[in-house]
Amino acid sequence: MNLKLLLQPESTKVIHDCSSKKKILEHIALLASDQLPDHSNAEILASLMNREKLGSTGIGNGIAIPHGKLKSSQKAVAVLLVNETAINYDAIDNKPVDIFCALLVPEDQCDTHLSTLASIAQIFDDKATLRKIRKAETDQDLYKIIEAA
Amino acid sequence: MEISQTVIIENKLGLHARAATKLAQLAQKFSAEVTIIQADKKANADSVMALLMLASNQGKEVTVNATGDDAEQAVKSICELISNKFDESE
Repeated sequence: MNLKLLLQPESTKVIHDCSSKKKILEHIALLASDQLPDHSNAEILASLMNREKLGSTGIGNGIAIPHGKLKSSQKAVAVLLVNETAINYDAIDNKPVDIFCALLVPEDQCDTHLSTLASIAQIFDDKATLRKIRKAETDQDLYKIIEAA
Repeated sequence: MEISQTVIIENKLGLHARAATKLAQLAQKFSAEVTIIQADKKANADSVMALLMLASNQGKEVTVNATGDDAEQAVKSICELISNKFDESE
């Protein structure tokens, strides 16, 4: 599914205060749990942390795609955070990360998940879009950039 | 030297983020330029982002193409990784 359909204005944020991988994942879990009433904040955080333990989701160029699978979840949810400063995230290119596009997906949706990842990659592969994303000052600006990408 | 080999994506999850990361990390070890081709789409194998855009699911046929001194070794290693389901259990 396309990222644009999954991303809600409430879960698209420009942030300033996250200084570690753990804080970023906590922030993502908090925003995602608002949209997933059947899943606790702790459960969502655990699914994100478990995935990072298997290997960093920092895919290069300052971008990470933290994701987790949730049992008996009905829908996929996306959260986009852009941090003012890039943080160490053990990314594949060793560059610090400031753009976090997170996904919480139901288990057993392999093909949908692949197409969602592809839509994320497509948006964040565009240098002009990345520049705009990094310059966004408000949550609304950020959401509009993704909508228009 | 340029060399190509076609393989099938065997693992259940396809070329998802972790598999794509493994493939890119392996491709980066070689000096040869490695490209993954799927139908009319091409991806630089060094880039996780490019690999994810292929959205290769289980059963898809991909061609591993490499150009450079260690092209043969690069194609062999990458095809092995794909055929071995990226070391995943299913």
